[in-house]
Amino acid sequence: MLKAAADREAANGGRRIVIGIVGVYVLLLVCCAVAAPAVAPYDPAGQRLESRFSPPFSAGHLLGTDDFGRDVLSRIIWGARPALMVGVISVGLALILGLLFGLAAALGGGAVDNSIMLLMDSVLSFPTVLLAITVVAVLGYGVAQVMLAVGVIYSPVFARIVRAETLSLKEQTFVLASRALGSSLLRTVGSHILPNMLPRLLVQASATFSLAVVIESSLSFLGLGTQPPNASWGLMLKDSRSYLLQAPWLAIYPGIAIALTVFSFNFIGDVMAEKFGVRGR
Amino acid sequence: MRYRIIAGVIAVALLVVLPTVARAAGSAETRGRVLQFALSGSPDTLDPQKTSGTLTFQVDRSIYDTLVEPDEKGRIIPALAESWQISPDNLTWTFKLRGDVRFHNGDLFTAKDVKATLDRIRDPATASPKASEFNAISSVATPDANTVVLHLSEPYAPLLASLASGWAAILPASLIAAGHDFDTKPVGTGPFELKSWVRDNRITLVRNPHYWMSGYPKLDGVTMNIITEHAVQIQGLLSGQIDVSYLVNKEDLDQLKSNPQTTYTTDLTSLVCVLAMNDSRAPFNNQKVREAISYAIDKKSALDVAYGGGKVVGTFMDYSDPYYVDFTGLYPYNPEKARELLASSGAPIDRPIDLALPQNYDPHVKAGEIYQQMLAKIGLNVKIRLVDWSTWLSDVYKGGNYDLTVIGHTGKLDPDGRLAGYGTGKSYVHWNNSRAADLIAEARRTVGFANRKPLYDQVLKIMAEEVPMVFVGTPYRYVGLRTNVSGFRMDPKLDTFDFRYTELK
Repeated sequence: MLKAAADREAANGGRRIVIGIVGVYVLLLVCCAVAAPAVAPYDPAGQRLESRFSPPFSAGHLLGTDDFGRDVLSRIIWGARPALMVGVISVGLALILGLLFGLAAALGGGAVDNSIMLLMDSVLSFPTVLLAITVVAVLGYGVAQVMLAVGVIYSPVFARIVRAETLSLKEQTFVLASRALGSSLLRTVGSHILPNMLPRLLVQASATFSLAVVIESSLSFLGLGTQPPNASWGLMLKDSRSYLLQAPWLAIYPGIAIALTVFSFNFIGDVMAEKFGVRGR
Repeated sequence: MRYRIIAGVIAVALLVVLPTVARAAGSAETRGRVLQFALSGSPDTLDPQKTSGTLTFQVDRSIYDTLVEPDEKGRIIPALAESWQISPDNLTWTFKLRGDVRFHNGDLFTAKDVKATLDRIRDPATASPKASEFNAISSVATPDANTVVLHLSEPYAPLLASLASGWAAILPASLIAAGHDFDTKPVGTGPFELKSWVRDNRITLVRNPHYWMSGYPKLDGVTMNIITEHAVQIQGLLSGQIDVSYLVNKEDLDQLKSNPQTTYTTDLTSLVCVLAMNDSRAPFNNQKVREAISYAIDKKSALDVAYGGGKVVGTFMDYSDPYYVDFTGLYPYNPEKARELLASSGAPIDRPIDLALPQNYDPHVKAGEIYQQMLAKIGLNVKIRLVDWSTWLSDVYKGGNYDLTVIGHTGKLDPDGRLAGYGTGKSYVHWNNSRAADLIAEARRTVGFANRKPLYDQVLKIMAEEVPMVFVGTPYRYVGLRTNVSGFRMDPKLDTFDFRYTELK
């Protein structure tokens, strides 16, 4: 009994350390994205053809230089921008669309509910990356298109949560009481239904955020997202492919950046789920 | 009971399969003299007359023969034809054929096979993308089994080079008549026969024991392993699973050098890599702007970094072509001069310039990123737009919807293949120069190197001076080999492989 408690204590201690590390990393990431021009030591697109493939820790280049002699650290720092931007904006878009569709379905009921959810399910039934490629191929290449694509593709996930939560909340006594006391529908939704589903939405948003980062990298890797010479982690991975054996650092550092970011936001989602007592995602 | 039967079947199957797998994975001794070759993709078809895909010709070169063929220098030498004669008016071409050649299916090769093949490629029903190269032929006569006479409607010098190219591979007349499936079951007279083709995996070729060059091919077979990823090819070469890879980057060379069992060769490709401009659009319709852009580009650096090194060229002909003329001194790298010229050109350059890059070709994308920086240094705001290959072909190359683009022009055995259409405004750079267009047309009707050279000299001079596109250079090709491989050849211009002389020690 005591041992189990001690184990839990130790596990909690380890978890707290991880929470700390994740916190610092995310803070660093946000700083990099916001203040990239001030933080990055070099112009991320600045070519120095005479100093190509400097290894990491060489003079002036902590993480080395790439095949154009561009500073890898500066490109990683600037690469945080499209990653976070796509994460924030596309998840925000998915959230807004999800809320609108979910509420409309739950409150409209009947045929409205059926047709909205049929649409949402059909979007969900496509493999996400494939759908994203299709959307970007139609709209044209670029970060804005990627954000739009990811936002639309992930909106059904939020719509489903919003619909389910609304359906169960609207039968709860406090909601019925608020309605009985004469609050408008809008007011009831705003002050009772939304706040009560917020935890689940936040947990989902955090998980979707990391998926959005992966999709941005994937599309940039395929040449559909961030356009050169702008820096993006996916684009850096794509460029590194030809030099895997001679200059492995070109693949390792953006790979680490993507992995850490995805892990961090998944982890934050887990922690929030635990805190809010939200089951499963 | 049923489960026991199934288990028994599986056990027996394993007993049969396992030793086979073990043998297949066995050492070099069991492999015999079979070359393990890395091919960069799967051909769309193996019918040499229904595609323009290089991969098809890279495979078909070993299965089929042509009447004449290029030697290592690109000169055209006899193959299935022992000799040929051209009448003084250049309208009658007579080929004497070898009498001792058999197709893989046992048919004896005769003049009627040549006639059937040339009729097939010119037949609109075949829809050959190369049919126009044979349009000048009005009829094919076969006075006897070993003589073919081509009657031309007009003098057409490039015909000999077309007959030496992969798309003029000679097919057996009996199978053409029978509607044989040449897409997947090629039958030729070549040094190797197709044994099997597993799409996206491998193409297995075995020696043709009755090949007309006695003592050749030296190999028992060639296995073309389809490996699209360059890094995987290099890894295969280093570990010994692959004997030859023709997709080696400059950055791989150190590794191939330091491994005692691998080596490499350096040759020039037949590409002319360019920064193309849309000459019909402002400001590129202004020759001074085009000159400024050419001065702004450090061709040597771009060639070294993006294309793995090569020779700078100053006109529209690859460096090792016999028709090549050196104009590299005309617009050498000089950013100051470029800025001055741009300022004095009077052309208003107030909008961002669009640079369309074919995203599936890493070297061109890379070159484009370098050009963007070089042009930024003379004050041009260039915006990169990555496009996929089909969009590049339809929108950029055919549609002319671009300011700048980066591409490599492949060579052909005849200079007309490269130059036809330029000067008329119909080419994708929309460059107009009637003098150049007339000279190109005249050279097409003129037979013989000595007679054509002065005409092409003038064309290349005009193109060098007027800069319809920035001519950057001809890159090197590095071929990685295991040290026990010798005699591997690539055909100049055609980028096909000649395995006849290849040996494994």
